[in-house]
Amino acid sequence: MRSFLAVLQTLADRGVEFIVVGGVAAVLRGAPISTFDVDIVHSTGPENLVRLLAALEDLDAWYRFQLERRLRPDVTHLSSPGHQLLMTRFGPVDLLGSIGKGRRYADLLPLAVEMEVSNKLRVRVLDLEAQIAVKEETGGEKDLAVLPVLRRTLEESRRLSPHKPQQ
Amino acid sequence: MVFSFLKIPMFPYAIDGVDVSLIRWMLSLTPAQRLETLQDFVDAISEALEDSHAQLPGSSSNAG
Repeated sequence: MRSFLAVLQTLADRGVEFIVVGGVAAVLRGAPISTFDVDIVHSTGPENLVRLLAALEDLDAWYRFQLERRLRPDVTHLSSPGHQLLMTRFGPVDLLGSIGKGRRYADLLPLAVEMEVSNKLRVRVLDLEAQIAVKEETGGEKDLAVLPVLRRTLEESRRLSPHKPQQ
Repeated sequence: MVFSFLKIPMFPYAIDGVDVSLIRWMLSLTPAQRLETLQDFVDAISEALEDSHAQLPGSSSNAG
């Protein structure tokens, strides 16, 4: 079963501190794009890494670059600024130690807003301005391709609610 | 007299080719509904892919 909500719920149930970024964050902010994985930037504080490891166990997460070997991430991997591309029982999940030009959880926290993604779950989601800035910094083809949609979504959301923060 | 419908842009694409009508529709939804929409899309694609694999010659689910 593939479920974005189940991934987010599992992380939240374990008390993991994380920010939703990437395609799911763009969709939550109103951008009509598609994605197949959940991207998050997590806090690399030692207590959070313990909670994250527990959540990854619940999710039955392993590295997806060598699916047959079922390699699992450990604390060393999770504390790095690198990207851990995992497969879980609810679908692909990317754990990102940093995004753009080395932006880590603490840098992104002021740029994230809590959003209700179900009637029982609120998660921190990176705002559209920051998503655009990160994609500009990264500058990969995939990132550049989605930029016009993100920019237009930001423009429209400002037009619709000029005095309110983005919803 | 100017009819209001004359002011409605009939071409929904912005100069950069982005479909603004889709953005407006997404923005009319709550974040939870947006996530549901994405999930429905992914589920539909996954289902279609499974169906097409099942119909391939030699596929076990097509065996008999």
